[in-house]
Amino acid sequence: MIHMKNVCKTYENGAVALDHVSIDIAKGEFVFLVGASGAGKSTFIKMLLREVLPSEGVLQINGHDVVHMPHGEVPYLRRGLGVIFQDYRLLPDKTVFENIAFAMQVIEAPRRLLQRSVNAVLDVVGLRDKYKCFPNQLSGGEQQRVAIARAIVNDPAIVIADEPTGNLDPETSWGIMDIFKRINTAGTTIVMATHDKTIVDTMKKRVIAIEDGRIVRDEARGVYGYEN
Amino acid sequence: MKIRTSEYFIREVFFSLKRNNWMSVASIATVAVSLFILGMFLIIVMNMNRMASSLESQVQISVYLKEDISKQDVKDLQDDLQNMQGIASVTFVGKEKAMERFKERLGDQKFLLDALGDTNPLPDSFEVTVKQPELVKTAAAAISNYSGVESAKYGQDVVEHLFDITRLIRIFGLALMAVLAGATLFIISNTIRLTVFARRKEIAIMKYVGATDWFIRWPFLLEGIVLGCGGGIIAALALRSAYGMIAAKIYNTLAYFPLIPTYPFLNYISLTILLSGMIIGALGSTISLKRFLKA
Repeated sequence: MIHMKNVCKTYENGAVALDHVSIDIAKGEFVFLVGASGAGKSTFIKMLLREVLPSEGVLQINGHDVVHMPHGEVPYLRRGLGVIFQDYRLLPDKTVFENIAFAMQVIEAPRRLLQRSVNAVLDVVGLRDKYKCFPNQLSGGEQQRVAIARAIVNDPAIVIADEPTGNLDPETSWGIMDIFKRINTAGTTIVMATHDKTIVDTMKKRVIAIEDGRIVRDEARGVYGYEN
Repeated sequence: MKIRTSEYFIREVFFSLKRNNWMSVASIATVAVSLFILGMFLIIVMNMNRMASSLESQVQISVYLKEDISKQDVKDLQDDLQNMQGIASVTFVGKEKAMERFKERLGDQKFLLDALGDTNPLPDSFEVTVKQPELVKTAAAAISNYSGVESAKYGQDVVEHLFDITRLIRIFGLALMAVLAGATLFIISNTIRLTVFARRKEIAIMKYVGATDWFIRWPFLLEGIVLGCGGGIIAALALRSAYGMIAAKIYNTLAYFPLIPTYPFLNYISLTILLSGMIIGALGSTISLKRFLKA
């Protein structure tokens, strides 16, 4: 699903963000990406989204050769990825329904699927009754659920979440993690960067720890391993 | 492109035209002014060209003969000219006849000729007309090579002057057009940049969920084209009425003036103006999107 071999990233100012990272993530895995700020987590995530390219090494996602793919193929790589951010990134002038439908419209998904798919993901995140609301009428947790719904509405093979619970209180965070668990159980690979020790320690999933651009730990049923 | 998608694009375009209303108006006005001036130059240059070539075709060739030529030689020359290809008519104008005409042309000022006394400095000549206007130049050149011919003139001075002036106007017009096109591009790309900025969050999301560059680009491109087209329509309408008015004035005072007839000439000009507007608009949005879509 995701195959990285000796991936390095050196920024133009000489900063080394990733240093010979090799990793394989299989279909259906649930992976936590942990590490201090500036350790290389964001570069890792951005590379999966092909916002930054590896300086060297091999990166394959969903069968796409990310390093050598032509610019015009990038959108098709991203259609296989659902992405969720700490700050939700919803469109404030669109309703919940429209925000989710937008993700389908812009890839010109068939119109007849729209209603059904949006309702289905609204059920997954438990917001069926709030479809008419605007983002500013929702709590943070609810907004993040909308963002998750938007990320999965096109049925991606991999969901990439960058600190999805970073702005949420613990109780709400657990609600979000429940949704991720359900999505994962349905077969979707999940890669989640997080600082939340409790969540990582409780979920007992694969943990990849990054420090100074290198993978220092990769455990199948790992723990956070740092003091917050 | 799917129907649903074009609907979406059209909505987007009108929404952002409304959002940037003042910038939209400014862009359309700039495009309109620039294209109007462009159209004016086109019309002037084309009319001057036409005037020059119509003068060229109307003029007859005056073939001036040498002083010492004999009657027989004149007769032979006339026959030769008449047998030349492309020559329509050859009329002999004796020096006395030429003097008479000259006096006529001088009118009130024919007293000037009193100084000449009885001498007549004008040469014998032929008036030669050709079958096709394009032949004037070559025919004149060929005729001047005959022995007994002093020179063959067809008013090329006037025609060449006219072409010179046209060339100057064309160069000046091109320079002005370049400046105006630059200004227009600048203002359109700035207007589109406002739209891009207002929609940057949407664009970011579109890219994350895998919208293609063209899908993202279309609404902006359309907006630019609408701005350019809007300016083009105004410019074309203004040009049509301006040309109509000027043509009417000119026909009233100078009936023979060889203006290009309004139709279908104005339709071609309008089309050119409209197309230029659309191209400038599309270019303007491409410029402001280029950097945005790279990442």
